[in-house]
Amino acid sequence: MNEFLHSPLFALPLSLSAFWAGVCIYRRSGTVLFHPIVTASLLVTALLYTLDIPYGDYQQASALLYALLGPAVVALAVPLKQNLTVLRRAGWPLLVTITVGAFLAPTVAVLIALLFGAGESVLLALSGKSITTPIALTIAEKIHSAVSLTAGIVILTGVVGALATPPLLKRLSIRDERILGVVLGINAHAVGTARALEISALCGACAAFAMGLCGALTALVLPLIVGG
Amino acid sequence: MTLPSLHNIVHWLIGAAILFGCERLGSLASTILVLPVPGAVVGMLLLLFGLMIYGGVPRGLAQVSGQLLFLLPLLFLPAAVGVFFLRNLTLSDWLALLAAIVVGTVISLVLCALLLRKLLEKSGEVGRDE
Repeated sequence: MNEFLHSPLFALPLSLSAFWAGVCIYRRSGTVLFHPIVTASLLVTALLYTLDIPYGDYQQASALLYALLGPAVVALAVPLKQNLTVLRRAGWPLLVTITVGAFLAPTVAVLIALLFGAGESVLLALSGKSITTPIALTIAEKIHSAVSLTAGIVILTGVVGALATPPLLKRLSIRDERILGVVLGINAHAVGTARALEISALCGACAAFAMGLCGALTALVLPLIVGG
Repeated sequence: MTLPSLHNIVHWLIGAAILFGCERLGSLASTILVLPVPGAVVGMLLLLFGLMIYGGVPRGLAQVSGQLLFLLPLLFLPAAVGVFFLRNLTLSDWLALLAAIVVGTVISLVLCALLLRKLLEKSGEVGRDE
């Protein structure tokens, strides 16, 4: 029994059912505060604590899910290609904003953390904050940053960004859905894109495009900066 | 639920093979050329250029990618759970993290929005006909 609890035979169905429950809760609640990743990770954590399973065992037993992360990053090329038409219509302003945003988001975060006197591991993990989790995790491995911390930061950033963007832009009286989409994609990656898709197809396309490009840019540049 | 036809399954398999193939190719290129970029990202760029040359997205690839991207949160669930088991961070680390995430995200999203509006106005592309 004990062995079973620590094997993939237990870990995989556990992850699957927690994710499924998370998706159901998210669809019912209709707010990104209950994004599947938030509820699912809380569910799994609660179960691991009650059953007294060490996190390391669960992580090892989930190797199959990790193995699919690489192909999932590759799959991001598909929405990027499908939304290239957005770029053709809004052109260079989009490219400039995404490039600036890709640098701005982590820089501001790292500066604030420095102000608070955070340790190096925190600063490293923050550098991948606003890019989509699969890319952030592959970068984290490359720059030897804590994978779990990175995942947590990225997810929290996504939730904060997706919650804050629509009301903030309304205050700035920005109604252009392209701006809303791009800002969501840059600052709130996949969670923001999910939110953008709820607003409109155009908004979602802008978000998916911004998210993919922002992630690729960061992946190209960040290892050079940190490694150098 | 209707059973997928053999035709569809072949399409899906081809789509999955393209994804895995690009990932392997990207990883290989990343190791051989000692690139600082993660192999999977090289694979993503390879696929993007491939699709741009091909001029479309094969149906099977679009479906498999859609499924995989829907399942994304599941794939990084184990990593996300790890946050609750972090022990080596001090309280001030946590505070710095929270401040950086919340304040940093708000600052950066406002600046991005203002910048894009400005640029769109400059290029005369802003939707005045709304």
